[in-house]
Amino acid sequence: MYLELEHIKKSFGDKTVVDDLSFSLEQGKLLCILGSSGCGKTTTLNMIGGFLRPDSGRIILDGQDITEMTPEYRPVATVFQSYGLFPHMNVIQNVTYGLKFRHIDRKDAIERGERYLDLVGLHEYSKYRIDELSGGQQQRVALARALAVEPKLCLLDEPFSNLDAALRVKMRVELKKLQEELGITMVFVTHDQEEAIILSDFMTIMDQGRLVQMDTPENIYRNPSNSYVSEFLGLKDIVWGEDGKIMKVIANEKL
Amino acid sequence: MIDRKKLLSNTERVSQNTLSRYIDMIGDHALQFLVLGGVVLFIFYPLFCVFLRSFHSADGFTFSQYAKVITEESTALWRSVFVGSFTSVLCTILSVVFSLFISTRRGWQKIIFTALLIVIMVSPPFVSSIAYIQLYGRRGWITYNLLHLNIMPYNQWGIIAMQTISFVPINALMLNGLLAKIDRSVINSARDLGAKAKDILKDVVLPALKPGIIVCLLLTFVRSLADYGTPAIIGGRFRTLASQIYIQFMGAGNIDKAAAMNMFLLVPSLILFFIYRHFMKKMNSNSSSRRQDAHLNLPLHKSGVIGWLIMGIGLLYSLIMTLQYSSIFLSAINRTGSKIFSFTTEYIEKVFTYNASTLYRSLLYAFIVSIIGSLFAVIFSYYVERRKVRFGSVFDCIATLPYMIPGTCFGIGFILAFNSAPLKITGTALILIINMLFKQLPTTTKMCAASLSQIHVAQENSARDLGAGRLAVIKDVILPGMRPAMLTCFIYNFTSSMTTAGAILFLVAPKTLLAVFKLFDATYTGEYGVASVIASLIIIVVLLVEGLVFLLTSYLEKHNVSGTRTYQKELW
Repeated sequence: MYLELEHIKKSFGDKTVVDDLSFSLEQGKLLCILGSSGCGKTTTLNMIGGFLRPDSGRIILDGQDITEMTPEYRPVATVFQSYGLFPHMNVIQNVTYGLKFRHIDRKDAIERGERYLDLVGLHEYSKYRIDELSGGQQQRVALARALAVEPKLCLLDEPFSNLDAALRVKMRVELKKLQEELGITMVFVTHDQEEAIILSDFMTIMDQGRLVQMDTPENIYRNPSNSYVSEFLGLKDIVWGEDGKIMKVIANEKL
Repeated sequence: MIDRKKLLSNTERVSQNTLSRYIDMIGDHALQFLVLGGVVLFIFYPLFCVFLRSFHSADGFTFSQYAKVITEESTALWRSVFVGSFTSVLCTILSVVFSLFISTRRGWQKIIFTALLIVIMVSPPFVSSIAYIQLYGRRGWITYNLLHLNIMPYNQWGIIAMQTISFVPINALMLNGLLAKIDRSVINSARDLGAKAKDILKDVVLPALKPGIIVCLLLTFVRSLADYGTPAIIGGRFRTLASQIYIQFMGAGNIDKAAAMNMFLLVPSLILFFIYRHFMKKMNSNSSSRRQDAHLNLPLHKSGVIGWLIMGIGLLYSLIMTLQYSSIFLSAINRTGSKIFSFTTEYIEKVFTYNASTLYRSLLYAFIVSIIGSLFAVIFSYYVERRKVRFGSVFDCIATLPYMIPGTCFGIGFILAFNSAPLKITGTALILIINMLFKQLPTTTKMCAASLSQIHVAQENSARDLGAGRLAVIKDVILPGMRPAMLTCFIYNFTSSMTTAGAILFLVAPKTLLAVFKLFDATYTGEYGVASVIASLIIIVVLLVEGLVFLLTSYLEKHNVSGTRTYQKELW
């Protein structure tokens, strides 16, 4: 498999946050890690990104053990929940920042940066300052910046949580399109059931640091492995698109 | 478009060249060692030297210096406690009143009183004392010329009065910060529930000030304890421990005894420092991030007798301060001792002929301290606050110590610590610059820590994620992000370097005389005209530099913003 997590364990003090977590993912697929807050999903993402070191277990990407690798050398790029854009740089400087460390000519770097800006629909904004952009535009800059270093794996930490509902739906569609077009492998963390079901090729449901179920959204919907999963998903029905993909999710009415 | 195949082949990687990796790691450790080691070497070590020296005599280890201090200096000791307590209570009351007065002003009144406060804040030390002698001294304009009194001003009451009025502005500024944190909705709900203005003052405002009042009492006591300038100038034969240290050290040069005397200042200061830290934490945790008002919404004139009293005292203090500064500026161009105004450029000429070089030197050192000091503070607070280095809280505590360390201790500590090889720097410019830098570090690191919390961790993580090493993160993310904080630090460093006597009077050498030293010297020897010129020049220069920095930053900000600030419609 392209990405493999083997028996990952992580505790903070005497609190075990991730407990014996293992899963794997094929190249070019999008995996959603879904769970309520505090289930260890962001910790897992931070371990894949290299910002936390697992207490035990291995992370293997494209045949290479990256467990001990520091973030700057990992072929992994992250889009953070708060974007982490550099406010003192303009859009194109942000997008090309990572290329500086890959010994790419300034000219080539800017050319590539503009290609990725174009890809997220922001090519006219390359000279803008970050605080002149709307939340959705900032989100796209962060995505372009992560993609511009052409990582083997792209991580997204609840990237749409700061956007309003309508924009979130729009961004979802665009992200999926982009991911399929470029064939990038992505791991996406969210607590939003609908977002996970619509976006993902595979879904991992986590609870209290443990993996509860991993499968395609459709299989999870049809055969939830236990009552926790079915309750957590709270699905009543799914609307299918003409292409056989899930288009909309109808949730149970919350009490 | 993007070539999918090429993209998936992932050929280019961040060079995993071990050499560059080591350089980054070593650089990171070196930087960390530099800031943490600097704090230990230039704050902890000098104080430790004072401690060791206090047990030193020709025959080795001894307590005899302490016995000597207790028998010979007990009067000075008690006088210090007396002056400290009196000043501390008086000054705290006046500070609370003045801060209430200032924060309830609006419109033009706010502008005028804030301007007054700024002038006071950028003033060198001893100006109150100079003005006091000129106005209320034996031949004072007010007491002698106006009221025909012949008062002897050189006594403990003079010291208490001078310390009280000089420490008010800094206390008031801190209390203003607390007042600004009072949530508008709290005051409004109190009013809504039927509370009158005077009830709000009693039930909402004063309780909010309580930790600040305790901090004021502590800080003022320690400042009074440490102040050797005021008692030396206007104490006459009434000597406190601090002024006795200065006079003894400069005159007799008995270092062993001076060290023991310093321990009597250092130990209470340190104890109060830890109490102060406790209350500061409380003060900061009380702060809310909710909507704050620029001024306190409390009509004083409707707050009964108390309100009128606050206004009266606030105005009186402002009047005294205005008189003080007018007298300083006038003394600079008026022949000392003349009954009516008699214009002279004698003192100005004197200053420019004999002291021009000290002024330039002061400016140069202040600039060096400001630039290195703000960089040092940023990097120090980055390692302590963000990188959470081991024993970070210990280093942070050491870095905060100079806030409360008496200048006499810090000065003598530096002399003891750096008077022999390999670190023999006494008498050089370096010792002055280092001393000023570390004396100011407590405030600058606090400024940086506050600003650092504005830089989201995700920015750092993103940079690392995209391939930046640890040093590149500091260069590309932290330093640019901390630019506003560094400017604040710069202004603070510059003002303090130009206006604080602290340990400087102990460390200057004939080749490194600074303006504050000349100011003290002139005041001490009774050359009030010259002292007034130096004081005025310092005030003007500091105001000019601050104004320039302010203009420059607002110009740069405007320049940056213009042109691109056109929002376009969402594309998607």
